Amino acid sequence: MRSEILILCLIVGAFTWAFRYLPTRMDMSRLPESGPLSRFLSATGPAAIATLFVASALPMLSGGMPLPLLAGTGAVVAIYALSRSVVGATMAGSAAYGAVFWGLSA
Amino acid sequence: MSEASPSTFVQGLVSALPIALGYFPIAFAFGVAATGQGLSPLEAFGLSLIIYAGAAQFLALALITSGAPLLVAAFTLVAMNIRHVLYGPALMKRVGPQARLRHAWAWAFGLTDEVFGAALGALARGRVFSEPFMFGLAAGAYASWLAGTALGAFAGGGALAGWPVLEAALGFMLPALFLALLLSILSRAQLPVIAIAAVATVTVTLAVSGTAGILAGMIAGAVAGVLGFGAPRRGKDAV
Repeated sequence: MRSEILILCLIVGAFTWAFRYLPTRMDMSRLPESGPLSRFLSATGPAAIATLFVASALPMLSGGMPLPLLAGTGAVVAIYALSRSVVGATMAGSAAYGAVFWGLSA
Repeated sequence: MSEASPSTFVQGLVSALPIALGYFPIAFAFGVAATGQGLSPLEAFGLSLIIYAGAAQFLALALITSGAPLLVAAFTLVAMNIRHVLYGPALMKRVGPQARLRHAWAWAFGLTDEVFGAALGALARGRVFSEPFMFGLAAGAYASWLAGTALGAFAGGGALAGWPVLEAALGFMLPALFLALLLSILSRAQLPVIAIAAVATVTVTLAVSGTAGILAGMIAGAVAGVLGFGAPRRGKDAV
């Protein structure tokens, strides 16, 4: 392994670990429930996951073939509504996406 | 699922299953791309082993192959991962003051975007926080990421070229996982936060870059929460 790649890995890995670990040491118990920091942290989860869904799905719109994306998204919503299973909804969404992709390319 | 007893390591592994299924093809693609761009299989595996952050790893490939100076590359990749500082406090806020964190220095290494989302979703569905659960969740995802990278690095370029439908289906695994996780923590009060985050992500991604779009979406949604668009009530307003 080249030394410059190893050094790059160690620097970025150390910072990434610090970003993930050190904030867990913050004492959240004394925050007032309706305070601005509490509201910020409560909104962070939904905002982050919504952002990551949009960011990961957005490139799939650029190819001009949104039907697989629509089918996959619809399957996730439908199966989650029926089963409340994250695993089942994820698998169904992926299968629906692949099935429609296959149908369009056949 | 018991609501009284802390969740176990095995329950964490089970909760990691959709993440593992989503991670594997992406890590495989990373391994293929890394060796295709001149890295050795060991170097590709090293990036996954030590950095363990998908988007940053793909960007690292571009920086390494373009000959970017070490410090410039490091600064760029560190800046890309800074969003992770939000996850620990958000998770601890959800868990409450009873959380025991003796080994957070170890499991927090695996607190990726998806692990954070899955942990939040599990807590929203009644799972009781425990460090063994977090270890299981993080370990399942990490093992999949490493296995995918290793297989991709040794398979070489074009490994999925003969299976376009499978490649497409696996490519949708992560968006599907994010959407399912979003549904699992969804509350009516936070719909405006989600909408604002989505609009900010699209706008800044199209105007600037994907990385800037992710940061903008997270910050815009969280600021919307501060401004009162997402009331922090729990369990009263599930959609």
